[in-house]
Amino acid sequence: MISNMLRFPLSMFDDELENWFYPETHRLNRRARSAYPPVNIGVTDDKVDVYLFIPGMDPDALEVVIEKRLLSISGERQLKKQADETAQVRTERFDGAFKRVITLPEDVDADAVEAQYRDGVLHIRLAKPVVSQPRQIKVSAH
Amino acid sequence: MNTDNTMNLQQNQQDTSATQAAAEVFTLRPLTDIHETTEGVTLYLDMPGVSKDALSIDIDQNVLSIRGSINLHTPEDLKPSHMELHSGVYERRFTLGDELGVENIEATLNQGELKLFIPRMEQHKPRKIEIKVV
Repeated sequence: MISNMLRFPLSMFDDELENWFYPETHRLNRRARSAYPPVNIGVTDDKVDVYLFIPGMDPDALEVVIEKRLLSISGERQLKKQADETAQVRTERFDGAFKRVITLPEDVDADAVEAQYRDGVLHIRLAKPVVSQPRQIKVSAH
Repeated sequence: MNTDNTMNLQQNQQDTSATQAAAEVFTLRPLTDIHETTEGVTLYLDMPGVSKDALSIDIDQNVLSIRGSINLHTPEDLKPSHMELHSGVYERRFTLGDELGVENIEATLNQGELKLFIPRMEQHKPRKIEIKVV
């Protein structure tokens, strides 16, 4: 670290000061960092939507497996290795292998799954089995 | 900065004004790697969910501001059941040293990974001084 600073003038300062004013922002990021990649899940009447925030991947290197209510996503992120003459001033981004196993909020049909990777977000759409979808019952008068 | 980016910037300011109140409170700091060489400084920012149109890169004097909005294209009737990212906006600022040439920043966005190269100005590149022996 010291040698890095000696080698190049430190020409870049992160405006860390904002953490003092927005402590919430900082805490949020640390929590999101604890498990990689962070995930958001939502449900609609007939689908369960899972979003994984997983930037810079080759979609072919992502493995998605569904077994009953367990959805697991694994892969490896390999950040570019830098040449010797490069000083790494800051390294915060995730690097390496990861696996996340998510318990889905509802039963899903393992045969009706779509996965799409866009802008660094993996979106997995799982269909609920027909039996668990809400149905409107018609009341008939006699 | 090229014209394309400037257009995006203007467009984005309009887009974000609607969510301004929320963004002031909850913004995500994109995780960042910074590498420095004699040629300049390269920043890599993780901003998953941000498309080119929703990204703005702005320089005011020597402060570099990066801001992007997440668009997940969610179905309208989606009800959240578990959330680890609570905000739809990333924001981070960096103060640049005088020796960096802010006129020629190169920006590329690939699958939520933003790469910014800021070249060091020619007169500030380290030079080797030859010592003549008399």
